[in-house]
Amino acid sequence: MKIIFIMGWRNLWRNKRRSLVVISSISLGIFVMIFAMGFMNGFNVQMVENTIKTSLGHIAIHRKGFQDDMKLDYNFKITDTILQSLNDEEILAYAPRVKIHGMIRSSEASGGIMIVGIDPEKEKNISSIYDYTSKGDGSRFLTNEDEEAVLISSSLAKKLDLMLGDKTVLMFQDKNKEIIGVGMRIVGFFTSPIDSFDKFIVFTPIKLLQNITGLGENISEITIVVKNSRKINNIKQKLLTEINDADLEILSWKDMAPFLVSAVNLFDKMMYIFFMIIFITVIFSVANTLIMAIMERFHEIGVMKSIGTKPKRIFSLIMFEAFNLGIVGLASGIILGVIFIQILGIIGIDFSFYMESMRSWGSGSIIYPAVKTMDIVVATVIVIITTIIAALYPAVKAARIKPLDALHYV
Amino acid sequence: MSIIKIENLKKTYDSNGIAVNALRGINLKIENGEFSAIAGPSGSGKTTLLNIIGGLDKPTSGTISLSGEIINDYNPTKLSDLRLNKIGFIFQAYNLIPVLNAIENVEYVLLLQGIGSSERTKRASNILKEVGLEKEMNRKPAKLSGGQQQRVAVARAIVSEPEIVLADEPTANLDQDTGSALLDLMHELNKKKGITFLFSTHDVMVMDRSERLVYLRDGIIAEDKTK
Repeated sequence: MKIIFIMGWRNLWRNKRRSLVVISSISLGIFVMIFAMGFMNGFNVQMVENTIKTSLGHIAIHRKGFQDDMKLDYNFKITDTILQSLNDEEILAYAPRVKIHGMIRSSEASGGIMIVGIDPEKEKNISSIYDYTSKGDGSRFLTNEDEEAVLISSSLAKKLDLMLGDKTVLMFQDKNKEIIGVGMRIVGFFTSPIDSFDKFIVFTPIKLLQNITGLGENISEITIVVKNSRKINNIKQKLLTEINDADLEILSWKDMAPFLVSAVNLFDKMMYIFFMIIFITVIFSVANTLIMAIMERFHEIGVMKSIGTKPKRIFSLIMFEAFNLGIVGLASGIILGVIFIQILGIIGIDFSFYMESMRSWGSGSIIYPAVKTMDIVVATVIVIITTIIAALYPAVKAARIKPLDALHYV
Repeated sequence: MSIIKIENLKKTYDSNGIAVNALRGINLKIENGEFSAIAGPSGSGKTTLLNIIGGLDKPTSGTISLSGEIINDYNPTKLSDLRLNKIGFIFQAYNLIPVLNAIENVEYVLLLQGIGSSERTKRASNILKEVGLEKEMNRKPAKLSGGQQQRVAVARAIVSEPEIVLADEPTANLDQDTGSALLDLMHELNKKKGITFLFSTHDVMVMDRSERLVYLRDGIIAEDKTK
């Protein structure tokens, strides 16, 4: 077979310019595909990570019903069993939260919000709210010692025309369904990558909220962050077994944010439409090149057949030439694409000019593309299959050339 | 036993709706070890006859047998095997594979026969030495002269040790001296190895050197002369 390989390879370079154009088009197709996949991977990962880091965590423990109707009625006490279960080497950190729907009022405006009571020290280990909080100019994160203090986002402050140190009124129902209004002083501003989060969430110390609402030691949820995000389902199952409380529900971030899972799936599906367009182009360019190459070598193929070359060997030769085109294009496209993605993965792509739209998706303004091994495998398989499909017609056509017709063809 | 036996062979083909009788009843036997030529003016049917003998074309009627086996009804695969194993071809325009060098061109036939790599290389290099191309083995056709290319074609035709070599106007593209040297080479191979050669030609030199001359005119044998 060595000679067939030699012929296949050398035939590829008989018309260098034409082969290079086809290889470049395959390479460009792969490059664009890897870039698009890398960008979408980065976008999806950041969108999910930001949601996990700002609000959901990897796993949460709630009273049953809380996820559907976030009312204060659905509270629970952290029992010794729960604490023992959370003392697991796979769990990185956990923190309690109290969540209440309410309103925030300033002298200028008011709006519906969710008030989240947090343990400021524990919260630092499970979310990025501390990192998102401005430090300086008097803005700071909450402390356990704070009384009647609230942390709000810069965008909400702007909407309500509130300044640092201003007092605002938070209104909500207590445990007994009584409406309570509490004046709280703004101690800091935060800015997260998620626009909807910023406009809807304010933070206060958990102790304050527990006292005012009459919850005592009870809480709305425990948010958990695990060491290895691939083990979320295993850890969730382990907690369910160990805690074994019919009144509690233990949910992963996917359970809590199905819209996020749907969005990631939708973006992945959109990629396939994009890939189809690229590979239809590849099919036609490879098929066109091979048909031209066969027409040019019509006489030569006739000679090969007249000296005893069987049709299946001619078929194999053309398929091998197509395979070479595909492999060279694939390899160069992958190398270029991976290098490009690696560089962009470090420096990121800045979408600040498109900031508001990016924030509405929760991805952040700088996307760090990331290529996955499976993406490369998918690209490789698709190109090989596409090339084979593209080469079938020209190869069959070549295999069917009648030697006598070809010998007379000049 | 005759290598080639042709009985009442006729070939009619269609040319723009007009039936053209290229061969009108050929009877011919070619014996083992012959060094023969089919000659005749253009349109006499010599190339058509050679193509039918070579399994490249099919007769309209009559029979043709190679080594006692009638090949009229062979399917394309069987004809491929026949051309590969029993017939060697030499073409007017050399028709070497341009991307392969001289030795690879010769090896190609052996590859088709399924012969192993080392055996292929050994046999191909020996044949190229015999045709005087020891130093040109690694040159591609574009780097060889016309005479050298035709020698490679001769080597390719005989390396598989066929029962007959069919040469269609082998000297037509060569100058007098080169053509003469090529004929000397083929004659030597005929004598030394007993290879049967059958030429189609209108070159006087080939006719003169052939030991038997079959002269066609208007699709029939006008003269069959053994010298």
